Amino acid sequence: MNGLNRLLVRIGKAVGGVVGALYQAGRDSVDTVIRNILPFMAFIALIIGIITKTGVGDFIARHLAPLAGTLPGLLVISIVCAIPVLSPLLGPGAVIAQIVGTLLGVQIGAGAIPPQYALPALFAINPQVGCDFIPVGLALGEAEPETVEVGVPAVLFSRMITGPAAVVIAWLASFGLYAGK
Amino acid sequence: MNETLGRWAENFIGLFAAGGQTFVGLVTGIIPLLIVLLTAVNALIRLIGVERIDRIGEIAGRPGLRYYPIRYLLLPAPAVFLLTNPMAYTMGRFLPESRKPAYYDSAVSFVHPILGLFPHANPAELFVYLGIATGVQKLGLPIGDLAVRYFYVGLIVIFMRGVVTEIITNIMLGRKAAGREETDEQLLAEMHPTLSEHGGAHRPHDSGHVADEIADRPAGRPAGRPADRPANREGA
Repeated sequence: MNGLNRLLVRIGKAVGGVVGALYQAGRDSVDTVIRNILPFMAFIALIIGIITKTGVGDFIARHLAPLAGTLPGLLVISIVCAIPVLSPLLGPGAVIAQIVGTLLGVQIGAGAIPPQYALPALFAINPQVGCDFIPVGLALGEAEPETVEVGVPAVLFSRMITGPAAVVIAWLASFGLYAGK
Repeated sequence: MNETLGRWAENFIGLFAAGGQTFVGLVTGIIPLLIVLLTAVNALIRLIGVERIDRIGEIAGRPGLRYYPIRYLLLPAPAVFLLTNPMAYTMGRFLPESRKPAYYDSAVSFVHPILGLFPHANPAELFVYLGIATGVQKLGLPIGDLAVRYFYVGLIVIFMRGVVTEIITNIMLGRKAAGREETDEQLLAEMHPTLSEHGGAHRPHDSGHVADEIADRPAGRPAGRPADRPANREGA
């Protein structure tokens, strides 16, 4: 009888643990949606509304879309975003990348940019990722101040090489994406 | 007059009506799936326990060519998945100082490519991916293919970033160490003007008082240099 009791208690505890984890996970995800995702959706929806209803969308379609619809154009965008002085300014919160991504998304949806360029474009708009956050990120990794002193320029210079290289890799990987559709 | 104003007002409201439509589309199209997916992944992370990847971190710091893929692929990808942005960068603590910038570069470059498949890792920056993906969706095309390719190209890119940044960091550390040796020689020459014919000739604060100069010198150099010298030599 005692053995059975212990078994029941153990099962109960295990199930309780799983249910508790799931419940807490649900609470976390709703919290994330309300705090992080919905506000940004509202912001993005406003921007999309403005660019589609005013002439800004047409302006972008004429000037930016041809650039984003070719490999050399995407390389130009990635090189500009990777310039070591600009990249830390473009980085914070990935707000610039999110806005430019949305603008390009609108153009893809409108047919001004072929859909297979979505993949290289994702890398072209984002070589500055985390460039604003290097000292904090290194501090989270318990780096010494001397490492930060070298690490910040090292990452920034590295992006000048890896930014455009990532676009080329993504471009190669985009062959066959949405082909014949 | 009234007509113009009316049309103007209509256009003005039209901006927000279009925005509102987009908003509803995003909320009904993305949020339900996102909440369920976030819940599943969050639960999974809780059940696995984030401390499991600590072991990978300990292995990843070892020198040698075969540890490169562990350091810049096998460590950052699960770290971003399990610890999410920004706690994934704390895994850098297992690595030697000279590898920390490269690990950071590698990990931070994965916080967006992972979004197509696992949006829980960086929900605040979801629209880097979703902005473009929504456009593809509008054409009636499936975005699954895009999400998968974004993920694996991301893996290739973070590995490349890790390796390139490690090389650049080592070059810079080496140059810095070499630069310090030079300054040491200059310093010696300044302290003993008789040993060098250039010594003391074009110093900015040529007061003539040797004692003053020696007292000034530590303040004139960037702080903390003598202390960190051995650490950096080792790193290079």
